[in-house]
Amino acid sequence: MTSTPMLDDPAAVRQAAAEFNQIHDAVRTEVARMMVGQEPVVDGVLAALFIGGHVLLEGVPGLGKTLLVSSLGKAIDLSFSRIQFTPDMMPADIRGTNVLTESETGGTKLEFQAGPLVANLVLADEINRATPRTQSALLESMQEKQISVGTRTIILEEPYCVMATQNPVEQEGTYPLPEAQLDRFLFKLVVPYPAEEDYRTILRRTTSNEAIELKAVSNAETVLRMRHVVRAVAVPEHVESEAIRLVMATQPNSPYSPSMVNEMVSLGASPRGVQSLILAGKVRALRQGRFAVAGEDLRAVAMDVLRHRVLVNFHALSDGITSDDVVSEVVRKVPSVGDGAKSTKSP
Amino acid sequence: MSSAGIENLNQAIDAVAENASSQIAADERQRAVRGQVGTTIVLLAVVPVVAALWQLVRWAAGLPAGVGFSWVWCIALSVALPVAWLAVKALTSRAEVDRLQALGAMDATLGSSERVVTADQFLQTSSPDGFMRAAVEDAESWIEQGRQARLKSRISTRIRTGAALLAVPVAILALAAAGWLAGMTRTSPVEASTKTAAIVGPGPVATTAPKETVKRPFAAERPENPPTVRKAGPQPSSSQGSTPANITPEGAKESQGELTDGETSSSQQSSNPSSAQGAPSSQGQPSLAQPQTPRKATPPKPRNNDRKKPDRPRKRSEEPSGATAGQGSSRGSNNNAASSDWSARSEMSRPDDESVADEEDVDDEDEEQKSRGGVQPNLRDRREPVNRDLQIGFGNAPPKADSNGRGGPSGQKKSRGVASLVLGVPIPDRITGQPNRGRIRVTQHRITPQVEQADPVLAEDRGRRQGKVGPVHHPDFSPWLQNLVRRYFLQRRQSNLSLPDQPQTSGLTESDSPKS
Repeated sequence: MTSTPMLDDPAAVRQAAAEFNQIHDAVRTEVARMMVGQEPVVDGVLAALFIGGHVLLEGVPGLGKTLLVSSLGKAIDLSFSRIQFTPDMMPADIRGTNVLTESETGGTKLEFQAGPLVANLVLADEINRATPRTQSALLESMQEKQISVGTRTIILEEPYCVMATQNPVEQEGTYPLPEAQLDRFLFKLVVPYPAEEDYRTILRRTTSNEAIELKAVSNAETVLRMRHVVRAVAVPEHVESEAIRLVMATQPNSPYSPSMVNEMVSLGASPRGVQSLILAGKVRALRQGRFAVAGEDLRAVAMDVLRHRVLVNFHALSDGITSDDVVSEVVRKVPSVGDGAKSTKSP
Repeated sequence: MSSAGIENLNQAIDAVAENASSQIAADERQRAVRGQVGTTIVLLAVVPVVAALWQLVRWAAGLPAGVGFSWVWCIALSVALPVAWLAVKALTSRAEVDRLQALGAMDATLGSSERVVTADQFLQTSSPDGFMRAAVEDAESWIEQGRQARLKSRISTRIRTGAALLAVPVAILALAAAGWLAGMTRTSPVEASTKTAAIVGPGPVATTAPKETVKRPFAAERPENPPTVRKAGPQPSSSQGSTPANITPEGAKESQGELTDGETSSSQQSSNPSSAQGAPSSQGQPSLAQPQTPRKATPPKPRNNDRKKPDRPRKRSEEPSGATAGQGSSRGSNNNAASSDWSARSEMSRPDDESVADEEDVDDEDEEQKSRGGVQPNLRDRREPVNRDLQIGFGNAPPKADSNGRGGPSGQKKSRGVASLVLGVPIPDRITGQPNRGRIRVTQHRITPQVEQADPVLAEDRGRRQGKVGPVHHPDFSPWLQNLVRRYFLQRRQSNLSLPDQPQTSGLTESDSPKS
């Protein structure tokens, strides 16, 4: 049973915020022992874990995506399972199925054997190589935190987090994720190449006899308590308005959409985008030592939250405009409260 | 936090909001003033321009000099008007600064990550939770800083004037013009009209133009409306000494006596239109009945005949006679023109044709005569060209009696004159491609749908198949089997329907034979 912290007193709030930052730093440091560099990606994965969302990692092979997720599972002492998606994989392969087993009395019986989805951290490696049928098997687990097999419904244990990876190259023979499934990911994190100094560290760690053993610095209960702290962060009214306007600005022909969105976007962010913006903003506010979300928090996480929720049209593809460009334009065009009197003059 | 502390914090935030609002309003006022700089510069030229216009009107009205103009007042008003405009704009520009925007601007200046705005909102909340109260406490230090902070000015130091700077030289010029006009006075109406004409330009000149038009010689206005002169009824002929005919244009007088090399008097006479007119008279048609009088009424053009005889009225009286025309024709190079039926036909069918076209022909003829020196015959005198064909006959065409090998081109060649103007260099077709099939016409017809009568097909049980179950024999025979069947029937026909022997073909069995 998870104990819910009492956050009515400012002193308790300060203590909870300090604990959050302490746990965050501990996990981050432990993961950094195995994962060299990629601090923004690690922060994003941790934020998703503390929010209760799912992450889509995109990067070329060899950047340590799988290593990051497995390291996170070890650092927080969570059950971890990995699914390597292939085109011939079926939904029963990941959800589990009833198998005929021999009973102790010598007879046979149908027994449910859970699939790899039943875990705390699920690494869906190269998720876009599975067929849409198998991809859609993830929908229920990601949104409802449960899986249904036959007449059986299995409530997944919290914290539950799906971290999927996909390769931006080698698109031949893949099945792009549908928008309905993309919308269920809190973040889409782009894993870049390491920096030059990170390469040196990677070489020293991986080409020697040094064996790194990660230890658990947190557990599932702590993560759940921190989730409660994150969701208690206050949100001012003007920040809510700003988040709504940011999301509406990604929708074509909305009152706040810039001309680039009207011309280049075919599908904008959904209400899940607003929820994700606020939740991610709360984590960032806590990390910045504040107790309320500010507009700058929203703008800092807007790219990771909105880039996979914006679907550009053919004109944008032909002009080389990506969803990242659209989100950047939206963040630049939507005025914030810090713009002061200038915002009143803007149309 | 106690209620007193909350009250103090509210007052502090109010002070911060007041501080930020006043600075934003000042910035907006300054922005508004800077935005009116261009208009102000334009206004600088208004008073000088008005003063210059007023002095122009005063001068035109004949009022004494210096009325309504003062250098001091003009300069003072020129400066006062833009200054007043700027003052009005500065006073009327009242920026509506929201409290949220003012505090947000202060947050942006302080770099407090919207802590002041957030605290202001959370203080208005009736039941703040722990995070809200923590946020308010977190913002206290920033609020204290905001009471005295200065906002970052967002106003650009650059002033955009654009083309408004042109108003400055305009103002100076208008002021100088007003001063100059202020010292001028009209003395008398007559002189004023003259001076006005000199200043204004073509206006007064146009008022005197009709008088000059009335006094203009007839020759000058003739080209404007020559048909009117002809249709005015029977005009007195040139022999009667009509006044228009006696007036000779200056150009015509100056061109008299000019002869180019190779130009003879006979050739000039032969090319005279009167020679063609003489033909009908020689055939017994009364020359007086011809409507030649209007043509005579037209002012004469510079003609070679006139050059020879300066006594122009007397020459004019001689021209209408057909004998004179015929004489000129007989002395021309074309000795058959008078008797040609072509010239006579044109003369009879269109008696007044010459009066319409000869005015242009005369000029053309003179030019052609000058250019060719009178050696070549004129091709425009509507006389039948002399046939240069000396052959007895060309094909079935009978030889022409007047063929003498002289004269101009033949009628056939003359008819190709226009065609010869077409480019002689063949231009290849630049459009590459293949000829298509032509136009494709697609027609659509509206047909009313018709009901077709058909018996309904009811579903029925067809039962099980009764045949043998196995490989279905393919009806198509292989080539060797077709050849075998052909040979079989050929042999059977030769043996008069007698059963032939079994064909000796390797591989043919009893089951594969056509009988089976």
